[in-house]
Amino acid sequence: MRLVRGLLLLTGLGFGLWGVWLMRDFTSEQLVSMGTFLAGGVLLHDAVIAPVTVLLGVVAARLLPGRTRSVAAIAFLVWATLTVAFVNVLSGQGGKPDNDTVLHRPYGLSWVVMTALIAAIAATVAYRRRRIAGPPRSR
Amino acid sequence: MRLPRVEDIEKRIPRPEDFTARSRGPATTARVGTALGIAFGICFLTGLWSHFQYSSPGWLPIGPNPAWLYRVTQGTHVATGIASVPLLLVKLWSVYPRFFLRPPKARRDQLLDVLERASIGVLVAAAIFQLTSGLLNIVQWYPWEFSFRRTHEAVAWVAIGALLVHIAVKLPVIREGLGASVEDETPVHSDGPSRRAVLRGVTVASGLALVLTVGQTVPFLRKVSVFGVRDGGGPQDLPVNRTARAAGATRAASDPAFVLQLKAGGRSMSLTRDELAKLPQRTHRLPIACVEGWSRNAVWTGVAVQDLIALVGAPSGSTVIVRSMQTRGAFRTSELPGDFVDDPRTLLALELNGEPLSLDHGYPCRIIAPNRPGVLQTKWVRELEVRT
Repeated sequence: MRLVRGLLLLTGLGFGLWGVWLMRDFTSEQLVSMGTFLAGGVLLHDAVIAPVTVLLGVVAARLLPGRTRSVAAIAFLVWATLTVAFVNVLSGQGGKPDNDTVLHRPYGLSWVVMTALIAAIAATVAYRRRRIAGPPRSR
Repeated sequence: MRLPRVEDIEKRIPRPEDFTARSRGPATTARVGTALGIAFGICFLTGLWSHFQYSSPGWLPIGPNPAWLYRVTQGTHVATGIASVPLLLVKLWSVYPRFFLRPPKARRDQLLDVLERASIGVLVAAAIFQLTSGLLNIVQWYPWEFSFRRTHEAVAWVAIGALLVHIAVKLPVIREGLGASVEDETPVHSDGPSRRAVLRGVTVASGLALVLTVGQTVPFLRKVSVFGVRDGGGPQDLPVNRTARAAGATRAASDPAFVLQLKAGGRSMSLTRDELAKLPQRTHRLPIACVEGWSRNAVWTGVAVQDLIALVGAPSGSTVIVRSMQTRGAFRTSELPGDFVDDPRTLLALELNGEPLSLDHGYPCRIIAPNRPGVLQTKWVRELEVRT
């Protein structure tokens, strides 16, 4: 185990240094741009996406009845992660005006349909669970 | 009124114990992390492969067989990257409370803590960077000053390096986490989702991300992949990556006085499009496979490059330099290695799916060869020169 960990550590450091070596002839403008994206991604996640998710969890825990929370959380997981995965086509950016073989689908509409479907499935599951489980324990 | 002291502020910052979701913890993190690690490994290997296909190193000559190879490796690269997005987000969610761990008291532990946090910082930054830059590149949106190709490669090495360091540091926790049951202990604090539910949720999300986009390279999912960048359609039933206008090739390519130049050593020859069409024609079904992760099969008709260079007395296995009429873009010239020229499926195509090439597909003539990245399938060809 010690040997495996040691080898992994050394290989990892080697890979990382090789990556930095590949950047040796990047101009300062390119490095600044790359650095902005590297730091910006972490900042966007740690300071915006993660706290907002936690906050939504807190709000949902206050508003939603106990038995529906679990379903709501999973529905949010699927919806939110898919929205982030599709943010490139949903952004309206990219493509070229003279090339209609790129990005010419109705992504916004698909997203609305996806959102509605996830909400409908979650509502159905929550409703059926409530019936199977009977009235909530706390009264 | 007094100013708040450091301790007062510290009290307001949440602690890991304040996060009550019972579905977090090593059993969840280790499982999602393993899936994410495998996905990143696939992206890394297929990504390296793509760089090899762009410029094949001497020790690894990449030939025309199998014709579908690049289509599969690059389609897998992009599809796996997209499917990784839910995995990465849930992985980060599962360990977010640890972000608020207070530094240890002992000096020696503090140093280790700083090193570990730094390595995780590099890993998270590089992982987010790779997925973001990849996702933006496939929609041809480049809001940056760096070269995508070179930077995506360099940061990939950093990401995989940091990942290996992270696995080395966490190996005992990972083993324990994978050994631990997915079933929860008695829920104490909260009635949120179970671990099993979170793992199922992220599996569904990752699978949906894949299915809803992968139709750009898997034909039978074309209709299902409503979030795919391409739907496989286009002029002559094939998508276009760069139009004639964008490449600055429109004027030269539509000139009726076009002649193709053939050169080999001292010998040279010019052929009009009609003369090219009178040479023996071959028809092959070959895919266009783009680095952006879309691909599509098409039927191409034209003259085998080996037949053309034979006209100027060059042997079949020669390396051929292909020059385009395009005035913009980095791939105006490409090199066809001997292995490709030697393959009779490597064509100077005049027709696509039974019609003369449209302007955006490379009229008057273009290269199509088996197993090549799309950008090397040079369009609007004006000259073939045999390297001697």
